[in-house]
Amino acid sequence: MSERNGTCIVVGASSGIGLAVARRLLQSGRKVAMLARREAELRAQVHTANDVLGKTQAHAYVHDAGDLDSAEPLFARIEQELGPVDEVHFVAGVMPTVAIDEFDLDKDRHQVQVNLLGCMAWGNAAAKRFLARKAGCFVGVSSVAQDRGRVGKPGYHASKAGMDTFLEALRNRLWRHGVQVTTIRPGFVETPMTQGLKLKGAISADKAAELILRARDRKATIAYVPWKWRLIMFVIRNIPSFVFRRLSI
Amino acid sequence: MTQTTSLPFRDEDVRGFGMCIGGPAPVLRPTTTEQIADAFAEVRRRGGSIALRGAGCSYGDAATNGKGHVLDLTSMNRMLDFDPATGVAIVEPGVTVRDLWRRAIGHGFWPKVVSGTMAVSMGGAAAMNIHGKNNFALGSFGECVRSFELLTPRGDLVQCSREQEAELFHAVIGGFGMLGCITRLVIETKRVHSGRLRVWGLVAKDLEHNLQILEDLRGKADYLVSWLDLHGKGAGLGRGLMHRADQMQPGEDPTGLRYLDPMLQDVPPKLFGVVPKGWLWPGMWGAVHLRQVGLVNWLKFQAGFREQRQSPYLQSHGAFHFLLDYVPRWHWMTKPGGLIQFQPFVPHKEGARVLRTLIEKCHQTRFVPYLGVLKRHRPDPFLMTHAVDGYSLAMDFAVPSGKSGREALWRHCRDMAEVVLGAGGRFYYAKDAVLLASSFAQVHGADVVDRFRALKSHLDPDRLLQTDLSRRLGV
Repeated sequence: MSERNGTCIVVGASSGIGLAVARRLLQSGRKVAMLARREAELRAQVHTANDVLGKTQAHAYVHDAGDLDSAEPLFARIEQELGPVDEVHFVAGVMPTVAIDEFDLDKDRHQVQVNLLGCMAWGNAAAKRFLARKAGCFVGVSSVAQDRGRVGKPGYHASKAGMDTFLEALRNRLWRHGVQVTTIRPGFVETPMTQGLKLKGAISADKAAELILRARDRKATIAYVPWKWRLIMFVIRNIPSFVFRRLSI
Repeated sequence: MTQTTSLPFRDEDVRGFGMCIGGPAPVLRPTTTEQIADAFAEVRRRGGSIALRGAGCSYGDAATNGKGHVLDLTSMNRMLDFDPATGVAIVEPGVTVRDLWRRAIGHGFWPKVVSGTMAVSMGGAAAMNIHGKNNFALGSFGECVRSFELLTPRGDLVQCSREQEAELFHAVIGGFGMLGCITRLVIETKRVHSGRLRVWGLVAKDLEHNLQILEDLRGKADYLVSWLDLHGKGAGLGRGLMHRADQMQPGEDPTGLRYLDPMLQDVPPKLFGVVPKGWLWPGMWGAVHLRQVGLVNWLKFQAGFREQRQSPYLQSHGAFHFLLDYVPRWHWMTKPGGLIQFQPFVPHKEGARVLRTLIEKCHQTRFVPYLGVLKRHRPDPFLMTHAVDGYSLAMDFAVPSGKSGREALWRHCRDMAEVVLGAGGRFYYAKDAVLLASSFAQVHGADVVDRFRALKSHLDPDRLLQTDLSRRLGV
């Protein structure tokens, strides 16, 4: 188990993996700042969590991860209101539907804005503080999509690959100072984001959260969730381009 | 059957859940209210009839139409809204209990009334006014319907609620699809303070013990349902295993927070984590056809003692409620004859006597149900209600495949129905397959039947909406 007991921030906590991570953190007794864009959903989830727990452990902060400039002041506000933060989970992500012959810069820009720049905004805000305190843990939820650029969603793959590389660099900067940066690459998980995709063998968001927190506890650098995706992506990464460009995956 | 309209009706085999009633009929699956209105207009113009059908979970002939068309509403299955703060859902009629709980539980809500299977549709649930294991406490499905929109056979859209068109509201709920098609519903769900329930298994040594437990726990428990081994005779007549479940209070089960994930609520797909449950029904088929149902029931009853020792235990809402979904296609075990369910509702005072008589009659005729389920009920405010202040005993009979055997079973059920009606009992049309037209007024009272018929004549003068059930009852 984690030895931390400060405040946690979960960015993207109103549904899916972010909500499941927040619930597990709450269940282990932590104080959690839950951040999400949709106010009604977020407030309802915070209310529900506190209701089940029978006490106020969850706190709602309405925030759009694409609103980059507000990350720093919001981090400061959360620390002021809830006490020092020692754990941040960046789980916000967008994956719009993209047709196979669609090239839409607006959709690409939105994904880079939220998935990559949003992670940078929160990563920087956390890194500054964690470096000064020489402690803390930043968990970024990337994707197996970062391992290869596939035909389906170029913008999504690029944004996640950028995020993944950012997290690696952040880790290399901070680890030597006692700060943990863990990259999570989930495979198929049943969440509102993947609803309707018919993902075979998808795990529940709660299971993903369990594996994410386990990776945090063992101080993993990169964790595939679940583990089998490390093998699958090893194969996919090693498909030569002259084959890969002919595949529909 | 030949194509009778220009709408894309397709001939299909339309049966009740029990598989023993129904046959080919032209079926249309509308996706909009306009398409339903078009179908109404066209079939009415040609002098035909239409049966409204939801998920097809009524056991008998409530959603079949051997002499006309069928509108299957399962494609009108959009959840139009779910308010995460209040748990109020706006749904189309084809949205299922499964769709609703999956959306609700993620926000800490659960449908107020659910059936033993999550397959039933909201439109069907309202039309039949279904009940769950908490009927004695929260009432029937209709009581959690805030309002609905009704398309009448004449093509008018009417908004119905307790305040607006109150008479129609109370007649359409439980009105078995006779007065119009529900095209949209506003449904209330309830707050739950955990993703789990606290559950007790309680062995009941006979019928009286079962009834006693129901009375003792009625004001305390949130859910009560008893499985009965109807093969028990003598001192063991009506023995069974009662399940009591209570909701958690805030703070009582913090671990229950993560059980709000819908995937942790689903009924487990494998037995002991190994055997896919889709493979189980052939084994059950063997038990039915080798006449080992009594043995299976006895084993289940004995297993109840172990469950009682391990009680209370925690169980997800889904795993507690949806017992009928544990074994996919379980009803295929009764093939080729199929099954019928006979579920009498008996007033409290007559409960012990009548239910004992019914079980004894089953033993005399050797038509012993392979499954019996006992529940406690309370009256509700709907016109065609089946609810009483008393008990219901659902009895599942495998239908013999031969004609004479089938007729003998129907005779047996009608004989039992006489006893029930004589005691002021009622019946529930989602389950019924045997009642005669002569019993219709006896179940509801002559004045209620007159009011229902007056509404029917007013809204549907051409008798467009018909089912095999409505013709059998002479509606």
